Amino acid sequence: MKTDTKKLQELFDAKELVVVNVGVSAFGEAIQKQGAQVIQVDWKPMAGGDDEMLKLLEMMGM
Amino acid sequence: MNIREKIEQANQEVMKIMLEGQPTWVDVQPAGDVIPNMQKNMILYAGPVIAADQIVKPVRVAISGAAVHDGLAKDMQEAWQKVLAGEIVIDSGQNYGCACGAAMAVSASMPVIVVRDTLTGACGFCTPHPGGKREVLRWGYYDDTIEADLCWFRDVFCPALGAAVRHQGGINLKEILARTAGMGDENHTRQPASSMACNMLLISALTEVDVPQRDEVIRVLAANDRFFLHIMMAGVQSCTMAMKQVPYSTVLAGLGGNGVELGIQVSGMGNQWFTAPAPKILGMFINPTWTEDDILGFLGDSCVTEVYGLGGFSAIAGPAYVLMTGGTFEEARRRSDCARSLSLGEHRFAPVPWDEGKGLPVGIDVRRVVALNKTPISHGGSTLKDGGQGGSGCAVLPMEMFKGALAALGQKAMEDNAE
Repeated sequence: MKTDTKKLQELFDAKELVVVNVGVSAFGEAIQKQGAQVIQVDWKPMAGGDDEMLKLLEMMGM
Repeated sequence: MNIREKIEQANQEVMKIMLEGQPTWVDVQPAGDVIPNMQKNMILYAGPVIAADQIVKPVRVAISGAAVHDGLAKDMQEAWQKVLAGEIVIDSGQNYGCACGAAMAVSASMPVIVVRDTLTGACGFCTPHPGGKREVLRWGYYDDTIEADLCWFRDVFCPALGAAVRHQGGINLKEILARTAGMGDENHTRQPASSMACNMLLISALTEVDVPQRDEVIRVLAANDRFFLHIMMAGVQSCTMAMKQVPYSTVLAGLGGNGVELGIQVSGMGNQWFTAPAPKILGMFINPTWTEDDILGFLGDSCVTEVYGLGGFSAIAGPAYVLMTGGTFEEARRRSDCARSLSLGEHRFAPVPWDEGKGLPVGIDVRRVVALNKTPISHGGSTLKDGGQGGSGCAVLPMEMFKGALAALGQKAMEDNAE
């Protein structure tokens, strides 16, 4: 599907830019320093990406 | 039922013990008379099982001192030789439901607090807190003065406590925690309010029983604002001993350090320990010239209070301790929120007024710890390499312990379901 750049531009041109930052908080902090409002969502890869643990968690109900 | 369903059912059973259990202090009796499988020639220590030749100096001194105290050896040197030869048997206290504070070693003649969970009938044990003296067996010291103190505890202080608590008809620990909610205790490293509430009942009962040296017993009791810690440790053990009988449960049921390794137990794996190199407890030092190099790795079982949702897991309940050890109010909140995100339940009997009335997070699920890739923080006191308390602070629990537990739980579940 082609990216609708017009819609994206409308978002950036909005009177109040609200950025949702997922994961590493430093990216959000950089935007916040430029005056935009940032909502931080704490997220890490499940089990830190450890394959063995991911298999166990799948079996054990997570 | 498949493995997931078995785990869910087991965790519900364990959480019922955690949330609905009524740990009640009922007596004080010699360890050898009340701790199941405690032998006359046995001495219990804190944390996971460790080979005798790896034991750190303060614990070695405490074990040797306890052996001399019990007449198992004529002096410290002979005591340690008998330990190395296996004539004196040493083992992890939590494997017997007996928590050992810091470097403490528990021998058969030492009186222990007996807490019974009236829901399951299971009992937990711990020696009474020795008070504020710097040089005690609990911190890895032993000499003639300490031996005299141990004898006074055995012959006078503990029998008086036992008489008082029996006269009182038992003391429900949840009622103490509920009565003192909002008084600033996190009930691991700070418990002046709980100690006072408990001692009000005890002192009242002591005035109504006929015990020798009553004035001195009351003086020692009233001077100890850490007194409730060891009662609570026994209380937690009364719950975890029943929890460790529930196969498949993924809920944390034990936590302790031996100075070399820190370990956890999980309900579904009974007394098996899952260990990692012991992190150091950092925050503040009692003597500002001491440094990290002067202290041992995590030592002691007082962090079993965390297993019950206290201490670092409820840091927001005692923010003054976090501030005293170099943290902030927000850091206290973060520690509690972290534990909350990893827990299956919440104690509602002691809400924290300045945390929107939230309760204490309880029932750490090792699956959640591994899945979210974050571990909770325990409070604690640090031990100097030559004995004595070094300071107070906190330690992040190593992920390695939780991954080890999860792998063992998974392996056991697969084996059981293949049968």
